[in-house]
Amino acid sequence: MKRVIYLIILIGIIVVSLPACIKKDNPDIQPEIPITQGVNIDKYSINQLFPNPKTVTIKGVDYLQSQLPAGNLGGRIIASTIGEGPKTFNPFTAKDATSSQMANMMYDGLVSANPVTGEVTPKLAKSVEIKENDYIIHLRHGIKWSDGKPITADDVIFTWRDIVFKGLGNTSVRDSIIIDGKLPEIKKIDDYTVVFTVPKPFAPFLRILSNPVAPKHYFTSIPNWEKSFDRILTTTINPKEIVYSGAFHLKKYVPAQRVVFDRNPDYYEINLKNQKLPYLNQVVYLIVGDLNNELLKFEGKEIDTINLQGAAVARYKAREGKSDYAIYNLGPDTGTMFLAINLNNRKNEKGKPHVSYLKQKWFSDINFRTAIDYAVDRDSMVTNIAQGLAAPLFTSESLNGIYLNKNIKGHKRDLKYAESLLEKSGFHKGKNGLLYDKSGNKVEFDLYTNAGNTERESIGVMIKQDLADLGMTVNFKPVEFNTLVNKLTNTYDWDMCIMGLTGSPLEPHNGKNVWASNGPLHLFNQRPPQYNKDDRLSWEKELDNIFEEGALKLNFNERKKYYDRYQQIIYDERPIIYLYSPTRVVAIRRKFKNIYPTTLSGILYNIEEIYIEDNK
Amino acid sequence: MIREIMKDRFASIALIVLVVMYLMILFADFIAPYSKDFSDRNQSYAPPSKIFVIDENGKFSKPYTYNYKREYMPELYQAVYTLDRSHKYYINLFNRGEEYKFLGLIKTNIHLFGVEKSGRLYLLGTDINGRDVFSRLLFGGRISLTIGFLSLFILFPIGLIYGGISGYFGGWVDNIMMRFAEAVMAIPSFYLLIILAAILPSNMTSTQRFTLIVVILALIGWSGFARVVRGMVLSIKNEEFVLAAKTIGASDLRVILKHILPQTTSYVIIAMTLSVPSYILAESGLSFLGLGIQQPDASWGNMLKEAQEYINILYRPWLLTPGFLIFIAVLAFNLIGDTIRDILDPKGRIRE
Repeated sequence: MKRVIYLIILIGIIVVSLPACIKKDNPDIQPEIPITQGVNIDKYSINQLFPNPKTVTIKGVDYLQSQLPAGNLGGRIIASTIGEGPKTFNPFTAKDATSSQMANMMYDGLVSANPVTGEVTPKLAKSVEIKENDYIIHLRHGIKWSDGKPITADDVIFTWRDIVFKGLGNTSVRDSIIIDGKLPEIKKIDDYTVVFTVPKPFAPFLRILSNPVAPKHYFTSIPNWEKSFDRILTTTINPKEIVYSGAFHLKKYVPAQRVVFDRNPDYYEINLKNQKLPYLNQVVYLIVGDLNNELLKFEGKEIDTINLQGAAVARYKAREGKSDYAIYNLGPDTGTMFLAINLNNRKNEKGKPHVSYLKQKWFSDINFRTAIDYAVDRDSMVTNIAQGLAAPLFTSESLNGIYLNKNIKGHKRDLKYAESLLEKSGFHKGKNGLLYDKSGNKVEFDLYTNAGNTERESIGVMIKQDLADLGMTVNFKPVEFNTLVNKLTNTYDWDMCIMGLTGSPLEPHNGKNVWASNGPLHLFNQRPPQYNKDDRLSWEKELDNIFEEGALKLNFNERKKYYDRYQQIIYDERPIIYLYSPTRVVAIRRKFKNIYPTTLSGILYNIEEIYIEDNK
Repeated sequence: MIREIMKDRFASIALIVLVVMYLMILFADFIAPYSKDFSDRNQSYAPPSKIFVIDENGKFSKPYTYNYKREYMPELYQAVYTLDRSHKYYINLFNRGEEYKFLGLIKTNIHLFGVEKSGRLYLLGTDINGRDVFSRLLFGGRISLTIGFLSLFILFPIGLIYGGISGYFGGWVDNIMMRFAEAVMAIPSFYLLIILAAILPSNMTSTQRFTLIVVILALIGWSGFARVVRGMVLSIKNEEFVLAAKTIGASDLRVILKHILPQTTSYVIIAMTLSVPSYILAESGLSFLGLGIQQPDASWGNMLKEAQEYINILYRPWLLTPGFLIFIAVLAFNLIGDTIRDILDPKGRIRE
């Protein structure tokens, strides 16, 4: 009896599931393609260039006047920051991006940059006059710190002479303005005029003036402030004590949850109706753990702006029409993804080469490197891994950089050409399809990247296959991040590596740490610190010269020649093979106006000008 | 014993499921239509192939499928897959495909099923690199399902002998040995593994590295087991047959190995079956975090990692299949373990 019941159940299951297996081929039915409606902001562009704020003088006060349409006061914007949140609110000790972003909300610099062209515009300074090696800063009359004390030349001099030049806190600004071993000189002319004198013409200097200005009376009121500099403006500070100049000031910091900033009621920027900015009452940064978390928070309307990646873009695009946000495709971002080849030919302390002699021979062969470049399938990486949201990259400057060498057009994948190059250098394919060098050694090397990063791991899998087409045997090894960093900067025992770096699109000189032969990030031929033997390759020497001299030219076109040449060298010599540059796509709720995201400056660069349209 | 397991409905299903799983991974090369590294660049995240049994004229036909055509729609920021109806690909049994070594011995290119070379048959879709998820599940199972047994072979001998000696001699020997075991138990294993993953030499292959991790896991894991064995030995050593063996003049080691430890067999078998799933889960957990098996090698844990993004779960649900298999395998082991306990230890029977 039991068996009969089982049999009936079995037959029942088969009868039910059979129709699901028997599929009818009906050519008329095609999978549904989602149709988007609503606003189609395909390639976002600002029709007219972003208008720079002007200076107007009302009753003796030199206000900065925003040239964007006037809006209404009130409301708040909630943004997010991924990671652990700020570690300090002191702009001079901040070492990570989040901390300096938060600190810079409260402290303005002398100058700022136009978000579209990158041109330097005045901020806390009324104007900057350049006379040969002198930078004459004219400060605004009548503007004040939050406690009512005027902002004067003394504050500027204090900031530069007593903090930056002395190397308090983060020394990266100081390091970047040492010219021929000398620091610029700074002199007070009167209460509202300061002169910087640089030892030689130095192009990056103007932009460095965007470094925040510190309130002298507040910093010096702290007992023993120089020695306890790290303890100024820490995250545990009572927000009421802070003296600030920025559009917003810290209201509350809840660790691992959020940072709340309130409006500065006495900010020095006004709108076209001469009302005081900023419009918003509050800016909140939610501290979120990871991208997924951020995405869910945006979906739950907890945050108002977000950077979108990968498949999320398609999903948000499809729902854009029915939703309260707009998607902006800002074009290629500043990030670069690349494959670095280790050209190191030095030995470690034990007298062993970092890279075996055999591999050194391959890697130092330009034909070998070029073959790899031609074998890499950038187009597939863009469509598969970046899901279309990237552009193939061939230059060391990012695609939105103002110094980009547009003459480097790049190339398509060309296996035949790659093979012919290898042949020229005596490599040959064996019967088993594997590649052997002149002396019959199998071409095999390691490819590293940091584990846990799906994007880079997928690139690695792809490159392994690409190079297998040439017959090379690639051992792809994702390793833990710190292990990888140790290899790159300490032990140098790696062959190839997939990495990403973010450069500055405005100032190519910032890339000096990578390209100068003694730079701390000279990955492909890293020298230990205090290495004084001159074993530079001929093109490394040329790069050193370019970065020395390019910084001395002040004219943009003249400078560009130098940086065009440097990109050409990297492209020709291929110590680093650039793969792609991701596209930046952001979603922002539509109720915010005066918001013009760009890849150069991000989303909230003009936070004081942003307002909420319908503030019921 | 197997006959008794088969009497229990749930356990018998679980046993069949496990046997099928292990057979599948044993013959993975043969059953999988592709190798684990086969990839088609133009088919990244392709959905599962549609298999048709009734053709466009409404007639029954040999099962066939179409290839997918991928088009990138820039205005949607999305690749859309449509069926390319220009060519039908019939699904053949014993299809000729990529070459492999059957059971590592015989070179052949016959796969259980497949389509002709230019066709693509993806039973469970593809991953980001355009690799067949179904094939990778089979190859990944080889690691995920066997790794547990490896650690058992280390863990159980240590636990048995340690617990046996400790229980048999008692007194201060027992005291010292058990305190040591407790100290080992107190090591937080997951954090230890995370640290280990960071400091292990990077020139190990991911399988070597994982084997090492499992060995270390086992070297920590024996202590709990040893304590139970010791407890059992404490009561067994006073039984008459042990006294008899001692009186005859058998050595201590002989008494422990021949007379006492065999009495713990039932517990050992139960503990073994029940601890396999915890190693399957440990593997998945570590690989998911990027510390275990690394790309391009497959394991269920690192395949599941791709489904981590919730957008992927929405658009590519087939990426969740490794998670489903982990669930099934763990459930099956637990069901069988439960039944074995009922059989070997009738006093503790809960279910009637």
